[in-house]
Amino acid sequence: MKNIAILVLILFITFINSTAQSYFTKNGKVSFFSAAPFEDIKADNNQVISIINGSTGDVRFSLLNNAFHFKNSVMEVHFNESYIESAKYPKSSFKGRINDLSKVNFTTDGSYPVVVSGELTIHGVTNKVSISGTISVSGGVITGTSKFKVNLADYKISIPKVVKGNIAEVVDLDVSCVYEKKI
Amino acid sequence: MTSKTKKILLAVIIALVAIAGITGYMMWNKPHKNVQDADAVKITAVDLYNNFITDSVKANTLYADKVVLVSGEVNRVALNQQAQQVILVKTAVTGAFINCTMEEKTVAVKTGDNIAIKGICSGYISGDMEMDMPGDVFLVRGYLLKGK
Repeated sequence: MKNIAILVLILFITFINSTAQSYFTKNGKVSFFSAAPFEDIKADNNQVISIINGSTGDVRFSLLNNAFHFKNSVMEVHFNESYIESAKYPKSSFKGRINDLSKVNFTTDGSYPVVVSGELTIHGVTNKVSISGTISVSGGVITGTSKFKVNLADYKISIPKVVKGNIAEVVDLDVSCVYEKKI
Repeated sequence: MTSKTKKILLAVIIALVAIAGITGYMMWNKPHKNVQDADAVKITAVDLYNNFITDSVKANTLYADKVVLVSGEVNRVALNQQAQQVILVKTAVTGAFINCTMEEKTVAVKTGDNIAIKGICSGYISGDMEMDMPGDVFLVRGYLLKGK
């Protein structure tokens, strides 16, 4: 009898986990910024696919490098051709997991600081990273935000000698995604 | 060197520096590609999506970074976080769209409309098999061409 009760409990927990809510967006935003003496380098990408699995804490981000839009067209061309080499490496991605998922309640309004650990792939180079961010819940709307820095050398993005000194070797990344419930 | 020669030389140097400066300034401030007037690859939303999911390498060479004119039925109109209009055009796959970020807001578009959008194709991002969520094909700098 006791064994049957445990079995039922395990099945119930498995069922709850398998039906736990997941969240997604296909129009998340990633911006980057680098201060430069002549003109600051800033670009936005509003076509970021991101998924949060509410039961496992798995988090994924994926974007096309050529969808970064710069105010200056010359910067956009240089970014795609000389730095990120978007024809050769079209995508950047992050695949990881929320470390402290138990502290996040996706159904209760609040702001939940999280650390997400996983693999960040840029320019064909994958590095293990831990990134701090915030998951906010407001009226059923889930928002994920994070600000972090990326060292270009870690991803073998080389800065031409001519402009070295004018372009920062560490750029600021700003992530902001408003998620929908996956039905 | 006579003073007249010196003056001419100085004028030439000033002119060259000015030309170089103006050329540099114009090159640096070169406008973005004119999508509206560019020749476009015409294709339906259904075919464009199918091409990417059947052979993404070939589709990338045909469409990525190219100006395309995509026709299809509007699934949804929304705004992104920068208040740009996003129009999702239906494909043959449920939950998969041609995801178009528009350059200009067009108030006259609604779900169910048949439209054609001219824009630059960024490419395809796959979704998540475990979540049964298909990916999208993305367009940036979109312009609505016609309604019917």
